[in-house]
Amino acid sequence: MKVIRGAVDEMWSIIGQMTSSVFRHGLPLTDKIAARTALTNFVLHIHPVRVRRSWIRMSYTLCLGGLTFFLFIVLTVTGLYLMFYYVPSINHAYQDMRDLQFVVTFGGLIRNMHRWAAHAMVITVWLHMARVFLTGAYKKPREFNWGIGTVLLLITLLLSFTGYLLPWDQLSIWAVTVGTNMAKYAPIAGPYTRYLMLGGHAVGDATLLRFYVMHVVGLPLVGFLLMVVHFWRVRKDGFSGGL
Amino acid sequence: MATEAADRIAARQRVEARRRQLEAPTTVRDDSEDEMIVSFPEFIFKEFIAAVAMTVFLVVVSIFLQAPLLGQANPGVTPNPSKAPWYFLGLQELLSRFPPLMAGVAFPTFVIVLMILVPFLDRNPSRRPSERKVAIILFALYMAIVVALVIIGTFFRGHEFIWDWGWVLGNPQTCGGRAC
Repeated sequence: MKVIRGAVDEMWSIIGQMTSSVFRHGLPLTDKIAARTALTNFVLHIHPVRVRRSWIRMSYTLCLGGLTFFLFIVLTVTGLYLMFYYVPSINHAYQDMRDLQFVVTFGGLIRNMHRWAAHAMVITVWLHMARVFLTGAYKKPREFNWGIGTVLLLITLLLSFTGYLLPWDQLSIWAVTVGTNMAKYAPIAGPYTRYLMLGGHAVGDATLLRFYVMHVVGLPLVGFLLMVVHFWRVRKDGFSGGL
Repeated sequence: MATEAADRIAARQRVEARRRQLEAPTTVRDDSEDEMIVSFPEFIFKEFIAAVAMTVFLVVVSIFLQAPLLGQANPGVTPNPSKAPWYFLGLQELLSRFPPLMAGVAFPTFVIVLMILVPFLDRNPSRRPSERKVAIILFALYMAIVVALVIIGTFFRGHEFIWDWGWVLGNPQTCGGRAC
């Protein structure tokens, strides 16, 4: 009996050690432990430990920057799911889209979420910019972060644009044809830029691969690195709230 | 004599008051609300709620609204009108009105550079809306133009990108004469 009780106690203590090893802090029962939670937790450490109430008022930020980042995460996750079924070749792409829509479990839902989240991200990133402008939050010492934000806005547009081609339907091929034709008008570099984007003179197999690679690796990587700097500067320059 | 001295003192006081006004924080804080709090859990909880709300919104929209998928891409059949994605329709609208070098290259480049330089061009240190009317009016104008161009390009440009009241409502896109 005693042996069994000993064994059970031992098991509980092992389970306790396992669960407590996940978090580097206890339950946030006091302010001190709550502060340590924000400080030592990997997911939470990008937040400041202490904030002024006015900084985090929803009527000030409208959560727009945070929602933009959250949409980026949603797009990454749903995008991964789509990548399992999608082959970026003109012989497969369209049929893969049909399969995603009609055959793959949750394929249609995930594709819809990816599509609408992308549109939503373009909108939230614009609104975030508008909010930052209207509250004058770009002023010293945040001039540089405003510049990074502008580049992130452009990357969002490019991500959305490269994704537009991938379904390989009549909407995508002609939208991208119209879009890349705009690049043609730049003096001297224009035609070369267009050739570089398309991998040829017209939208085709090479274009699909280029847009795919930029869409799933190139632009998200650059975007992610700039986001890291963007958030780091928000922390270091201080929250702009408290208007 | 005495009035002149008084005037000078008053002027100096005005300058002094103006200087103090410039140096002082331009924001009026509501101290009752503005205490320091631990960001966990209140701040993180707010973010969490926003994320959950957005997830619910996306799932519901995605259940009821199908993402478009037209017929397979066909380089031989051009839809009429051919349109860029909606966020580039403002640019396409400009291209239909101005010379391509100006609308397609010079103008967007200018706007992007201008946007990055905004913090350095805006010399006004104040963040109060009432003290930055010019900046706010200019920005509102910019946003209004962008939104108007996108709306025109999306809804009011029909065949051959010619003006069409209610293109989306009444006149379908055609591919080589037939409906897409």
